[in-house]
Amino acid sequence: MVAIHLNNLTKRFAATPVLEHINLQIKPGEMFFLLGPSGCGKTTLLRHIAGFYTPDEGSVWFGGQDVTRVPPHQRGTAMMFQSYALWPHLTVAENVAFGLEERRLPRREIESRVAEALSVVHLSGLGERRIQQLSGGQQQRVALARALVVRPQCLLLDEPLSNLDAQLRLEMRSEIRRVCKDFDLTAVYVTHDQEEALSMADRLAVMAAGRLAQVGTPEEVYRHPISRMVAGFIGETNLLQGDVLGPGDRPGTLIVQTLSGPLTARLTHPSWRPKAGEAVWLSVRPEAIRLEALAESPNHFSGELVEAMYLGATAQYRLRLDNGLVLAIAEPNPSGTLRSAGQTRVAATAIDDLIVLPE
Amino acid sequence: MSPLLSRTVYLLVTVFFALFFVLPIWGTLHTAFVDVRGGFTLDYIAEVFRNPLYREGLLNSFLIALLTTLACLLISLPLAIGYVRYAFPARTWLNSLMLTPLILPPFVGALGIQAMMGQAGAFNSLLIALGLLPAGQPVDWLGDGQMTGVVLMNVLHLYPIVYLNVTASLANLDPALEEAAANLGCPPWRRLWRITLPLILPGIFAGSTIAFIWAFTELGVPLIFDYDRVTSVQIFSAIKDLSNNPFPYALVVVLLFFTTLFYAGSRLILQGDVSGGGGRATTGLSLNGLSRFRGWLLSGGFFLVIGLALMPHVGVLLLSLADDWYGTVLPTHLTLQHFTEALGHELTLSAIANSLKYASLATLLDAVLGVGVAWVVVRSGLSGRQWLDAMAMLPLAVPGIVMAFGYLALSREGQPLHWLMLGENPLLLLVVAYAMRRLPYVVRSAAAGLQQISPTLEEAAQNLGASPLRALWRITLPLLAPSLLAGALLAFSFAMLEVSDSMILAQQTLYFPITKAIYSLSSALGDGPGMAAALGVWSMVFLTITLLGAGVVLGRKLGSLFRL
Repeated sequence: MVAIHLNNLTKRFAATPVLEHINLQIKPGEMFFLLGPSGCGKTTLLRHIAGFYTPDEGSVWFGGQDVTRVPPHQRGTAMMFQSYALWPHLTVAENVAFGLEERRLPRREIESRVAEALSVVHLSGLGERRIQQLSGGQQQRVALARALVVRPQCLLLDEPLSNLDAQLRLEMRSEIRRVCKDFDLTAVYVTHDQEEALSMADRLAVMAAGRLAQVGTPEEVYRHPISRMVAGFIGETNLLQGDVLGPGDRPGTLIVQTLSGPLTARLTHPSWRPKAGEAVWLSVRPEAIRLEALAESPNHFSGELVEAMYLGATAQYRLRLDNGLVLAIAEPNPSGTLRSAGQTRVAATAIDDLIVLPE
Repeated sequence: MSPLLSRTVYLLVTVFFALFFVLPIWGTLHTAFVDVRGGFTLDYIAEVFRNPLYREGLLNSFLIALLTTLACLLISLPLAIGYVRYAFPARTWLNSLMLTPLILPPFVGALGIQAMMGQAGAFNSLLIALGLLPAGQPVDWLGDGQMTGVVLMNVLHLYPIVYLNVTASLANLDPALEEAAANLGCPPWRRLWRITLPLILPGIFAGSTIAFIWAFTELGVPLIFDYDRVTSVQIFSAIKDLSNNPFPYALVVVLLFFTTLFYAGSRLILQGDVSGGGGRATTGLSLNGLSRFRGWLLSGGFFLVIGLALMPHVGVLLLSLADDWYGTVLPTHLTLQHFTEALGHELTLSAIANSLKYASLATLLDAVLGVGVAWVVVRSGLSGRQWLDAMAMLPLAVPGIVMAFGYLALSREGQPLHWLMLGENPLLLLVVAYAMRRLPYVVRSAAAGLQQISPTLEEAAQNLGASPLRALWRITLPLLAPSLLAGALLAFSFAMLEVSDSMILAQQTLYFPITKAIYSLSSALGDGPGMAAALGVWSMVFLTITLLGAGVVLGRKLGSLFRL
């Protein structure tokens, strides 16, 4: 359990910057997620923590120690690779024992800790198997055991579930989180799967083009995104363009002129305060739009239902507004008759669910 | 591996190449272009082209190479397409047997061809016995001053290289590419012409270039056929007097110029190629069925080629077993005497010991250098690593005879590489020469192996506390071992049966390697040829075992070692 501190980390490959001035504090024992589209630099960031890359600028700190120039084998991290990187010429037990052997532990202790690690991941009795004889899910568990057995300062996970099928992925999510919490590990987890991040993370960072777009708890990032990129990447969202008219009645709200008339929306950004006349974006989640008038909200739309889709847990609609814009709407726990396409409907959203974002 | 270590490896390999590759060639160039007063001159080169004897030699070499390549293509293309596309009787067996020529050093095969096809050989005797040929008027099948024989032997030895390259390209082709053409209404023959052939052209070119350059500079085969009107043999004859004679040097430079031209030309053509095997196969490769008649027809084609290709082997075997064989279909008396004699003869015994010594040391050197180069190229990320790769492949482009000549010239008294001669003992010289020639094979197999080993396997080891060198030792080397072993096996067996270097560099009987011993026995009187054939059989068995071993380890990747 160790705190990880990234200080102004910058890395270029050839002339292309892949990480730009990353500042990040990961707390001890925290399960921290790096989330972003492919190519955003999240794996590069993870490999800086593991020591496989040295930054061009900035530093990496474990607790109070600057480890920027410490080679990978002396960092005491343990990484789970996307490909698992299990050694095909060694057995399951030999794979797991490797890190302990490198730490020169006595033979007997190695044996008992390997057995223990295998039982933690429910693989007892498979120690003599060859890697090729295991299923994808079993290989993934061996990789986890191999990383855990050395009792690392922190566990680094690089899209560890991306090669598994959907069912197994769900099981392993809670499995990995349980193990990390049991062992009280600081864990940094890279993924492009937002559901994985939202469901497992204590906190997460959304990355875009080598920068941190937003850092926060899953709820913060989902409910209070501070940029269009974050709002669009985590979950689905509707975006509307507009110009600021002035402050709303409640503090922290703005009235924005849009093609659907003036709408009242909430500010989420900690420092950004747009002036009257400034062009902004409004974001609203599909599930935050109701297909009915709301007495307490000034935010109403009207349009024609052009598509209705029943998905069981939700029903999804597309509402074409009078100004031509199409809103995606999700109705949880739909019941009764499906609203059919072609109807003219009114929709509304609460002030708290409509968010002002920078241009 | 740390940058420091990578740079050290880079530097060492560069020094090795500077001393043992660039320097010998430079020395040859220097003598060929600098006159007695120390000024630059083109006179010697011009004299090579003015001299009708040299001109004829070059023309003959070119003709031999051209005919050899064309014949190889004619044999390989249809059979390769047949093998990859169609199911026919004994398909797998016939495909493996296509490679049998590789197990016989071509100049030993030439002895066999002579015994089979010579004027008093088995074939003529058969025709006479059948009454198809009047006795006393044998046909000279290897006629035209033996050029036909040289071409025949070259083709029978080199077609597998073309065949391997073509089948590999065909197998890499995504069947969907042709299916798409068929789907758009293109009939089979036009598909072959418009889709398949253009896409496998790189493979065809790669194989043909190797065959061409090989035949162009082949020394052993024309030497056995006593055919001295080719450039390689003219160079070989001239080495007896190197001290004040610039013409052999000029001849070597001209030969080098042409091979470089062919090599560079084909690289240039290959470079423009964008198909890259046509991408990942999206559908499985399925074999087309053939009617019983057509299936056997295709098998028959394979049988015919393999039968012809086995002729030199059979010839050598019979020769080694023959007590006396002249003017009859089969030897009249069989005997094992040559084998026992060959094992008792002082020349053969020392030759086998010498070859084992030279070849193992050369292989060891190759393994160390090969792993180092492959490592830097595949893993280090060092800028300029592609130059190291290109450098390690250079020996493929330079004919053995050119290198051998350079070593000989520079190891004479007072020359910069004289220290390689331990008195009269060419041990170091031959080890370096063998190692240089076969380094590309080892680098290639080691690099291929490394590319298959994901770098994350090593990173995982480092992540768990192993230093870079320990990770190399515990993870990468064990995983690399099979590929490295295969490359080393090939390097070893090729070194055992190397011709150019052995012929030119070993001057004293005491230090003869196997190949030179075979050559000198073959022209000896009495039991010489029989013993030479017996040694040849021995080397055939030896090559078979090593190639089979390499094949088992490498599987289908064996063919990749014979590519450009």
